[in-house]
Amino acid sequence: MIPFLLAATLALGGSTFAAGGRYGATAPKVANQQASAGGPTTIPEMWGAWCARCHADDGSGKVKEPTITVEPMDFTDCKVTSPEPDADWERAIAKGGPGVGLSPEMPGFEDSLTAEQVSGFVSHMRGFCKETGWPSGNNNFPRPIITEKAFPENEFLILPAINHTTKRLAPSLTDVAFAGVYERRLGKRSMVEFEVPFVSEDRSAFRVSGIGDIAVAVKHALYTRAATPRIVSLGLEAVLPTGDHDEGLGHGTAIFEPFITAGALLRDWYLQAQLKGEFPANTDRADRAVVYNVYAGRDTSAAPNTWTIGVEFNGENKELALTPQVRKGLTGTGALAASLGVMLPLNEREERGVRWVGYLLWEFLEPLRARR
Amino acid sequence: MGRLFALGVLGTIACAKISALVLVCLGAGVLSAQVLGAQTAGSVTGTITTTAKGLAPVRVTIDQKICGAELPDHAIVVDAQGRLANAVVVITGVKRPAAAETIITNEKCAFAPRVQVVRPNANVKTTSKDPILHTTNAQLENGRTLFNVALPIAGLTVAKAIRGAGNVRLSCNTHPWMRGWMVVTDDAAVVTGADGRFSLDKIPPGTYEVRIWHESLKSAPQKITVAAGKPTDISVQMK
Repeated sequence: MIPFLLAATLALGGSTFAAGGRYGATAPKVANQQASAGGPTTIPEMWGAWCARCHADDGSGKVKEPTITVEPMDFTDCKVTSPEPDADWERAIAKGGPGVGLSPEMPGFEDSLTAEQVSGFVSHMRGFCKETGWPSGNNNFPRPIITEKAFPENEFLILPAINHTTKRLAPSLTDVAFAGVYERRLGKRSMVEFEVPFVSEDRSAFRVSGIGDIAVAVKHALYTRAATPRIVSLGLEAVLPTGDHDEGLGHGTAIFEPFITAGALLRDWYLQAQLKGEFPANTDRADRAVVYNVYAGRDTSAAPNTWTIGVEFNGENKELALTPQVRKGLTGTGALAASLGVMLPLNEREERGVRWVGYLLWEFLEPLRARR
Repeated sequence: MGRLFALGVLGTIACAKISALVLVCLGAGVLSAQVLGAQTAGSVTGTITTTAKGLAPVRVTIDQKICGAELPDHAIVVDAQGRLANAVVVITGVKRPAAAETIITNEKCAFAPRVQVVRPNANVKTTSKDPILHTTNAQLENGRTLFNVALPIAGLTVAKAIRGAGNVRLSCNTHPWMRGWMVVTDDAAVVTGADGRFSLDKIPPGTYEVRIWHESLKSAPQKITVAAGKPTDISVQMK
């Protein structure tokens, strides 16, 4: 309870975030040189003189006679641009396309623009999306393995879990589970999710395998802030009794699980937390539970496919665990990513055993690599 | 060459016996070896020609105020006598140390020089004299981009280190007709001038393979023998 409150307080109570300033720190003062030469001096003028020839004056990327072979991202498409964090756009301007896994036809400007100008361009580009209400991509934090993230997503996931228990005077057991998850955004701030688990349980003498309880969830981002990134979302999950209860693969009852999830960026640290209640329709078959998860992690570099290291504190009623984990983007853009962690029980160790967990993630609306 | 060095060393050792003249003799020993070396090196000169004709000018599609309405197409620069400029003559196996700094200049919407020889791991400077956005995009023949530097204003110079060897193509993502080349090699190499002529000196006597590279034309490699103290003249026609 306390860790969740701590994270939620940090999320809502304000945090510091140093925006920009990373690129172009040593660049000559282009604006001053331009002023004397009669060239563009303001960001909109620079956009028109330098960027519009490929990105168009309105940022759509549609120009009459393009001088490049790839079609740039349409910055007027809020659905595509709003989930992107400002830091990725700053990196693309400074390092060029390859800095974010995209085409080298976009050159790097870090030797000609100052840090303020790079930030200024990103602000100008955000203005190309004319709709309000889209949650800022600055709140789109890397997904922890167990803690539900607050930002709505369009992605496919495979979540493997391998549970290994070794007891004294008893045979060791290995349970394997795979969950396939499909998440789809609805409108600007909501998301629907379908999860299909495949479960394989070790009964020592034999193994029982099959589909477990399918789950459906909806989530809505209630509160978001862009500049000092923080987000709070509410959701409801319904677990359906599709798993064979007699075989022990399912709960044998529907379970309703309302939850609240929050996230904040505090000095380069991602803090994410979730609180969930589990209410079975038939309490003879399953027990009520309170689930609470907290995650703290950070990126090791500014690239979109960087290594991200973190640790989760996971609790279900009185069962506590710690899950250290790493995540890595598998393509330059980070649209394909993998995570690996190990869930270490802090109590009731013998009964619960160690569980290897992780995910393989594919954001299917994002480019995997530069378009040819 | 080994014999000359041995002679120089013997001369030095002999002189060392006279302690009062040791330093003088050492200097003389080194000097004589150098003088002997220069005298025995050969050189390779020649003319590169072609029967191919010069090309029609390219149409300028953007920034006509700075670039003009059209620009000459320097993919083939040939004079009335068929003498070919911008061909790179490379003597494989003769290593040269790092040259002076490499500069690519964007001027009047063209790369200057269009073709130059660059050493591996060189620090390449790129600059612009035009008050419009140029991007100097350097790519290896396999398509891998070495760098793509944005030059939005005149007078800006950006340096990038390059890794790799081979023929590097320069292009501009805002002016698609612009083309330049860096032949990255540590072999002795030189670019032919407008008269199609080239000259490479300080070539040790021996047999070598000479390759000639041009962005549009081809020719077979030539086998040459360089004699001591004499120029070897070759003429090659490219197709």
